[in-house]
Amino acid sequence: MKFIVIDDSSTMRRIICNTLERLGYDDVIEAENGLEALGKLRDIDVIFTDWNMPEMDGLTFVKSVRASQSFSTIPIIMITTESGKPDIIEALEAGVNNYIVKPFTPEILREKIEKVLRK
Amino acid sequence: MNVEYINPFIKSTINALSTMAFVNPQRSKLYIKTDFEQTSDISGTIGLAGEATGFVTINFPEKIALTIVSNMLGEQMKNITPVVKDAVGEIANMIAGGAKGELIEKGYSFKISLPVVSIGKNHYTNYAKENPCIVIPFIIPEGEFTVDVVLSRTVNIA
Repeated sequence: MKFIVIDDSSTMRRIICNTLERLGYDDVIEAENGLEALGKLRDIDVIFTDWNMPEMDGLTFVKSVRASQSFSTIPIIMITTESGKPDIIEALEAGVNNYIVKPFTPEILREKIEKVLRK
Repeated sequence: MNVEYINPFIKSTINALSTMAFVNPQRSKLYIKTDFEQTSDISGTIGLAGEATGFVTINFPEKIALTIVSNMLGEQMKNITPVVKDAVGEIANMIAGGAKGELIEKGYSFKISLPVVSIGKNHYTNYAKENPCIVIPFIIPEGEFTVDVVLSRTVNIA
C-alpha cells in the first residue's frame, strides 16, 4: 500500500507521515503542493492532500486528478483546516472521497483510511 | 464588547493545541490591545478576507513555542528553527480554519490566507486602527501566550 502526503507545511507532512507509520503504513512519499504531486502519482493507492497551498491548491489538484486518464480512480482524503460546511461540500463535489479537519487524532485518520479502502 | 466572534477562536485554539500538542491552555481575561503593550518572540498571522475581514495572530514567547512544537513533533526543539517557524504557521492556520466553520454560521464568512510567521525577540504586531484588536491570553504551566483577533463584517447581513 503506497500513500502520498501533500502539504506545504513540513510540520504537517511529518505529523501525518509519523501517524501513518504508527498505523502500519510505511510506504509514504511527500509533495509540497499539488503541482509537485501530479508528477508523483504512479503506483499510489491513497492520496492525502491539504487545501490551501502555493503553486497549486488542493482543490485544483483534486480536479486535475479526477480529469486525468491514469489516476482518476485513486481515493483522495483531504486534510485541511477549512472547516466550513460550504468548503466540505465544494471539496466532495470536486471529487474528494473523504474529508478530515485539522487538528485530527490518529483514530480519525485510521477510520477515514479504512472507509476509502473498503470502497 | 461584542464577543460573539471571539468564542470560536478560543475554542479552536484550545482544540488545536490540546489535540496536536497535548497541552490544555486555560483562557485568561480578554482585553483590547494598545500600542506596544504586548510583545512576543515568534508569531503566526493569518489574514481573513471576504464578507468579514481581519487577522488572527498567535503570539508565543520562545520557551512556550519550543515546548508546543516539541510536543507536536515528539522531538526536543532547542532553538527557533525553520521547523518551529513552520509549525507556528500551521498552528495559526488551524486556529483560523477551526473558527471559520462556526463563524460562517454567525454571518462572518471569509477565506483564510497562507500563514505569515514573524520572528524576533519582543516584537510587536500592529494592525490598522479601524477595528479593535481583542487579545485572548492563555496560560499553560510553562507560561502565557496570546491570540490577537481583529474581525469586522464588510457586508451587512440582513
